[in-house]
Amino acid sequence: MSSRLRVVLGFAVAAVVLFFLPTLQESLDLPRFYVIFLFTVFFWISQASSWNVLTGYSGYFSFGQGAWYGIGVYAVAVLSGKHGWSFIAAVPIGGLIALGAGLLVGLVVFRLRRLTGEIFALTTLAIAFVLAAVARITTAIDGGTGIFMTGTPIPEFLGDFTTAMYRMTLTIMLLTVLAAYLIQDSRLGWGLFAIRDDEPVAGGLGVPVFRSKMIALGVNAFFAGLMGGVWSLQLGFVTIDDVFNIRVPLFVILMTVLGGIGHWMGPVVGAVIIYTLSDRLNSAGLTDVNQVIIGALLVVLALAVKEGVYLRMRARWVTTIVTFAVVMGALTVFDVNESLISDFAMTMVVVVVVLLVPARVWRFGRNGDDGDGPPVGMDAMTEAGGS
Amino acid sequence: MDLIVQGVVTGILIGGLYALMSLGISLSWGALKIINLAQFSFILLSAYLVYQLTVSFEVDPLLTLVVVLPVFFAAGALMQMFFHWAKVDEFKSLIVTFGFFIILQSVMQTIWSADFRQIGTTLNEYQQGSFVIAGIALPYPSLMAFGAAVVIAISMSAVLTRTYFGKAVRAVAQDPEMARAYGVDPSRVAVMLSGFSSAFSALAGLFIAVGQSIFPGLAVTWFGVVFSVVILGGLGNAMGALTAGVIVGVAAGTASVVWGPLAAPLVTFIILIAALLFRPEGLLTRRSVA
Amino acid sequence: MSRHWSWKPLALVVALVMIAAACGGGDDGDDATTTTEAASGGGDATTTTAAASGGDETTTTAAAEPSGEPIRVGGTLALSGFLAATGAIHQAVGEVFVERLNAQGGLLGRPVEWVLLDDESVPENAAAAYERLITEDEVDLVIGPYGTGNITAAMAVAERYGYVFPHHTASLTYAYTYACQFSSWSTGLHPNITNPNLVYDAIESSGNTPETIAFVTNEFPGNMFIAYGQDGTDEGGAVTEAEKRGYEVVLDITFPTTTTDWAPIAAQVADADADFVYLGGLGVDAPNLITAMQAIGYTPPGMFVQWPAPGPVLATDGSDGVMSVTIFEEHPPFTDDPEAVEVAAAIDAALEEAGVPYARVETQAAASWTAWEYLQIAAEGAGSLDQQEMCDYLIENGADTLFHGRIEFYPEEQNYYIDLSKVKQVQDGEWYVVYPPEFAAPDRSVIYPNP
Repeated sequence: MSSRLRVVLGFAVAAVVLFFLPTLQESLDLPRFYVIFLFTVFFWISQASSWNVLTGYSGYFSFGQGAWYGIGVYAVAVLSGKHGWSFIAAVPIGGLIALGAGLLVGLVVFRLRRLTGEIFALTTLAIAFVLAAVARITTAIDGGTGIFMTGTPIPEFLGDFTTAMYRMTLTIMLLTVLAAYLIQDSRLGWGLFAIRDDEPVAGGLGVPVFRSKMIALGVNAFFAGLMGGVWSLQLGFVTIDDVFNIRVPLFVILMTVLGGIGHWMGPVVGAVIIYTLSDRLNSAGLTDVNQVIIGALLVVLALAVKEGVYLRMRARWVTTIVTFAVVMGALTVFDVNESLISDFAMTMVVVVVVLLVPARVWRFGRNGDDGDGPPVGMDAMTEAGGS
Repeated sequence: MDLIVQGVVTGILIGGLYALMSLGISLSWGALKIINLAQFSFILLSAYLVYQLTVSFEVDPLLTLVVVLPVFFAAGALMQMFFHWAKVDEFKSLIVTFGFFIILQSVMQTIWSADFRQIGTTLNEYQQGSFVIAGIALPYPSLMAFGAAVVIAISMSAVLTRTYFGKAVRAVAQDPEMARAYGVDPSRVAVMLSGFSSAFSALAGLFIAVGQSIFPGLAVTWFGVVFSVVILGGLGNAMGALTAGVIVGVAAGTASVVWGPLAAPLVTFIILIAALLFRPEGLLTRRSVA
Repeated sequence: MSRHWSWKPLALVVALVMIAAACGGGDDGDDATTTTEAASGGGDATTTTAAASGGDETTTTAAAEPSGEPIRVGGTLALSGFLAATGAIHQAVGEVFVERLNAQGGLLGRPVEWVLLDDESVPENAAAAYERLITEDEVDLVIGPYGTGNITAAMAVAERYGYVFPHHTASLTYAYTYACQFSSWSTGLHPNITNPNLVYDAIESSGNTPETIAFVTNEFPGNMFIAYGQDGTDEGGAVTEAEKRGYEVVLDITFPTTTTDWAPIAAQVADADADFVYLGGLGVDAPNLITAMQAIGYTPPGMFVQWPAPGPVLATDGSDGVMSVTIFEEHPPFTDDPEAVEVAAAIDAALEEAGVPYARVETQAAASWTAWEYLQIAAEGAGSLDQQEMCDYLIENGADTLFHGRIEFYPEEQNYYIDLSKVKQVQDGEWYVVYPPEFAAPDRSVIYPNP
């Protein structure tokens, strides 16, 4: 069975399982919170994955995830929250507006050859700032008053609020990750990786450099905006300060770097780990420590676990699965924690520690990979953004 | 009092403060190829330290420089040694220093709480005082910051062009290996430079502590302004930073007065974008490091 | 390769910390009596606060009277992040309330436990936390968080599960339509009309009426609401109410919440030279503006600030004469009630111990206490913890509260009552209520213009 078929089948299975999880939750009488937890993880997987398609694949480091996310949130907030448009209609429109904005930015920025590396990163940051400033001034958008989404009706076929959020985020998450996978495993993907390694050479080899970057940026912006639009409901009250801040841009970087930048599974693993830890730390009341841990994680992982947790896991998949099964099994059977999520968090930590020790240099290409894949991880980013 | 003239004057002065705040990042980036986001935390941490020392020992806030400057010089030096050891390059520096930023923010909040801290006018006579010339007021904190910025900018330019150290810095910025071949130790130069960068940030923190209330969330509000100044002024260019700071300060201040305060951040960021798009090498590139 | 080895220790340390943290998470999910430092020294309280402030002290139930399964009240507060400064006040007040409640026999004879989480000033976190509290931890009651965004998010969750939702200081009154939400900040449903008129009445009670007025407003949703009314309605706010009284509006500017340079704003205010300055701001907007105005040698004849952090204003030179609104201050006639005095003293002590610089009971603390009272009154009145019964009881009977006095809930006014705000003014370096006269501190009245 070809690897691509395997992956697509895997997607299908995952989709079905995940789709029916809320029903499972109800029949097993597990806390509803698990559903909320899951759909928040979906949110982050989608944001991180879309970011990875631009930054991880092409090497153009973007600090601007907040811009596309913010456009999505505000598009839906203005159209639905302020003007009463149908929510289901507004969400894709939000995605398209974000896409349009992204393409517009790309048109300007990718034509200027000197805008690479950190300059590009700062430009994306500046765009987010400008959008926030514009939204502040323009009363038609926000003007400072904020927009209430609490009165926005959701179509009935989606179910109650929590189920609806779950289904919407699940769908968008699956689409985003599927897109990331398909791109990685395609000509476009190879072109992007070539651009990341050495842009002029890539151009010389016939890679359609400009078009590839535009598509990557477009994918990034579209999915970020799409998910942002759905997320406006979870926010409830949309304000500039709550939307255009450092949270989303920061976390997508952290999650992707942890999970493995440049590989489509990286953000998935990273988002699950980071969000679970963050949630459990919060519920334990360790929020100050939470911040310090995240900061420390960022530092250590960027320098130490360069290829990302996912690739480590895959390289030592037997160890991973066995450890996971044993620890998770033990924790659940002996009912160590009241919450399954806490069980999961502890299991993950153990797995990650096990994977870190002992240290070996795992050469990419061994242990059951599908052959030559693109170089991934922090080292591949070193020459980021071309010349 | 002519409103516009007052607006321009205060804009120039606060531009000096912006320049001070940006010097650290500009120098690291230009000479060391490290984009050091932790400098933002250093500025704020320095402000907190100035506040704490002033309040605990009841001294003139300016005196705290004696302690604060060396401390941050050392911190900067240590940080650079860490980067060298960890072989941090430009891209990783963004992420790693971001991590430091988050850690420092959290530490500051734990120690000083999220509440607003202000030295208070009994100990701090500079906060509300000003020099008045021909009906135009020059507030002390930003006046001092401007003065310091001018002195530093001029000195740095002189140092970079005329002293051995300055030439060593420029050599390292352009090609560390070649510099080494000529007897310059790049890592020593880098450590010194990082120390100075952090000291400049600490100085900026002093003027902030003297000029306003501080709280943990303050650091994030500086990102936009500082990056505008850094890019516009040119990486590693001290005079450029000063010029850019003044331009940003005057533009934002004038925009605020003419179109209302909401226009000020918009102007700042438009300047940033314009600088990034049209002149990412900065305005006064000739006298820069790299 | 050797480089990898040198990283392992660091990575291990990080991993160990992560394990410790996850363990902490595990324990907490298990055992609801994880204890932390009680902000009020000496703990009789069975207070479960998962608070971030350091110091772990095991407190045990010493109150003999309440018995049985604890009643668990779930909620979040902004214990870190942007709003943490005020979150700390609410935390201290809540802890004092629960402690006293348990010392007096608990609620319905049972001890009360506060399960407090940190929402980090992020509304999505608040929403998720309340979902967790309600569906995973299965708390019996909830109490609201701090900050309009957080309150809105949490209220939606409470509404979904039908929990009575008392909350404090949410400023966008018009948006709260949930039938069982109860605001403890008695500003009435239309503070955009009632608050400014109260202020103007107060000014005019001095015998002097301003001819010109300048408006400087923070682009924060609550401030915008008071100044301009609800977006999309004709109702108006402070500006239109001033115009109705014949004041001439000579300046009307808004500034970003993240303003770093106050000099241009001060210059504009000085240039407008109005008889009165209405600063629709919060936090340290007032000290910042006053400082910047002092620096250019300008003192307005009169000034009002909407929701300042009270301490920093007092510490700023040139703040004498500045007015604001309040619900309660620690001086007569508010302190004529001995119980209020006693409770206020306990809260002051708790605030001091929590490191809050301005350790006095005023609007925030008073509103916080009152929100807890709603829960107590509702449960005791209904005789049960049934959410609908509690909700009905409150609406039908209102509440007699310690700091607000009598409050009633008008369903047609979205459960709001009338505006109970008073005007306070900085005089001789302290805040005193100066209007209405029956609530003014002894021998104090509105001073306008500044001498």
